[in-house]
Amino acid sequence: MRYWSSILREKTWRPSADTWLFIVVHSAAVLLLVMLASLVIVLLPAARLSFQTFGWSFLVDSDWRPNEIDRPKRGPDGKVLMEDGQVVMETLPPQFGALPVIFGTAASSMLALLFAVPLSVGTALFLVRIAPSLKLAGPISFLIEFLAAIPSIAYGIWGLFVLAPFLQNVIEPLAQQTLGHVPGLSWLFTESARISGATVTRSLPLSGRDMLCGGLVLAVMILPIITAVARDVLRAVPREQIEGTLALGATWWQSCKEMLRFARAGLFGAVMLGMARAAGETMAVAMVIGNNNRISLSPFSPAQTMSSLLANEFAEASGPMHLSALVEVALILLVMSLAFNIVARYFVVGRQVPAGGG
Amino acid sequence: MAAHSIYGSYTRLKSHLMLAACFACTAGILLILVLVLGYLVSIGFRSLHWSFFTELPTGTPRNPGGMRHAIAGTGVLIFLASLVGAPIGLLAGIFLSEYSSKSPLAGPVRFTADVLAGVPSIVVGILGYELLVVPLGHYNGWAGALALAFIMIPIVARTSEEMLRLVPRSYREASIALGASRARTIFRVVIPAATGGLVTSIMLAVARIAGETAPLLFTALGSRLMTLDPNEPFPSLTKQIYDYATGPYPEQKRLAWAGLLVLISLILGVNILARIVTHRMQRHH
Repeated sequence: MRYWSSILREKTWRPSADTWLFIVVHSAAVLLLVMLASLVIVLLPAARLSFQTFGWSFLVDSDWRPNEIDRPKRGPDGKVLMEDGQVVMETLPPQFGALPVIFGTAASSMLALLFAVPLSVGTALFLVRIAPSLKLAGPISFLIEFLAAIPSIAYGIWGLFVLAPFLQNVIEPLAQQTLGHVPGLSWLFTESARISGATVTRSLPLSGRDMLCGGLVLAVMILPIITAVARDVLRAVPREQIEGTLALGATWWQSCKEMLRFARAGLFGAVMLGMARAAGETMAVAMVIGNNNRISLSPFSPAQTMSSLLANEFAEASGPMHLSALVEVALILLVMSLAFNIVARYFVVGRQVPAGGG
Repeated sequence: MAAHSIYGSYTRLKSHLMLAACFACTAGILLILVLVLGYLVSIGFRSLHWSFFTELPTGTPRNPGGMRHAIAGTGVLIFLASLVGAPIGLLAGIFLSEYSSKSPLAGPVRFTADVLAGVPSIVVGILGYELLVVPLGHYNGWAGALALAFIMIPIVARTSEEMLRLVPRSYREASIALGASRARTIFRVVIPAATGGLVTSIMLAVARIAGETAPLLFTALGSRLMTLDPNEPFPSLTKQIYDYATGPYPEQKRLAWAGLLVLISLILGVNILARIVTHRMQRHH
């Protein structure tokens, strides 16, 4: 309370420059809190229609059908109903379920982490343990930071015109030739659909624009953040810890392992930050992931993430229900990325040393 | 060293292998950077022509003209966003650096700034849509500028805080000891000492929002017309690049490559500048 009353000590109501600055600066600070709150306050009412209609099953329903469809009505015995020689049709209302995009976001982020984490942690170790003695830490850090500054759309175009053709023409045929004949792995290259009650399996068209491509592009995009945070976390490991292991005769790698073990909470935070970044990334993913609202376990099948769904459908939404369902997807995305960020911040403890005025 | 090691050859070999692996990881990341940048720069250079900057879209896909409208559009969007985002961000930065050590708000605000910086930009676009597109009834430039300002504020706040923290505590103490007020100390001592850094923090945020596409998709929407009126659907460089690059016409794709090169050069330039300024500040103080 004492902190706030400092501005009320004026004898007459003629606030000094100090008081004004105090008020203005604190308003700006409060505005940041308001901004975060406004995200939820604005999106919640817009998603209400969808939530009232679908409830919690929105999260586990795998149908995403913006338009109503007509289909032959079936009797209880599974046969198509006929009346006067005509097929009886029924109209299905639009149906929205977020499971495919939630799965797509989770799977593409995990795939990205799978590629990015080993590379990033290796590079962070290099930057902390090797680069300083070679006078390379500064330049390499700058180059990696620049990788983070390249806009999402540039990665998207690179993925679309370089990576996807490369996957389509080189990697995927190779994978199909080698893994396709391994018993138990054929599901990687086939998709099955239920047509008129029967399950039909056919081989996947390998387009290069699929979950694998999305995961790889995401991996490239989250490399810098994981590397930078992991570097800072490793740098914060006390010198004595490392010198102690070396004094005991540890090899270089053994002392590195000790370093990684010591910093494991922070490294986990770095990975979570990368995960949050990957989940929210939009343009690049929308350009390379193939945009298919179906759940498939194969990394070679086109998929869809929450953010790419929004990028593709929001501007052309076909009605209030479609729009509302999309906003609900955005809310799920927001909550997910907030959760990842909060967990990450908890583990990456503030690296700032308090300075500045009292 | 090996001769005196207490370990068997396997342990030593493993250590050497992991050392090599760390080198390989770093080389791998740098290789990725070279591959991405090399590709974008090489196709960009082949496509860049003076008419890119001077001509407007013609409407015929075979002879698409230039991107003057998109450059102007991005310029206006950045200007409008900075008009709101830069002052608020700087004030929040001043709060975080100069007032936070005693304020009960400090923890929550710093945390919120970090979290806001991590909000997916497409979600910010939807916020802009709900706040300004729905009430006005059509896509417009204001909504795009609002979304960009929203992204800008936490970035400016956190980077300007770090810049202000580079000013030594002794400067502030000296000023207070001479009888200057808090406000006078901040405006006459701290901010002048950190001017370069503060400008840098704004420039970095501008470079960031210049490359944003997702928040503009359903706010400014994009336009092939030269317009400076934010009440209408508004052109932007990134959206135009996206449309051309994913479209069917090779002539338009070429324009997209050129646009990408311009964008990346701008961003690289700002980042190098920022690094120089930060270095100089660190050395100075």
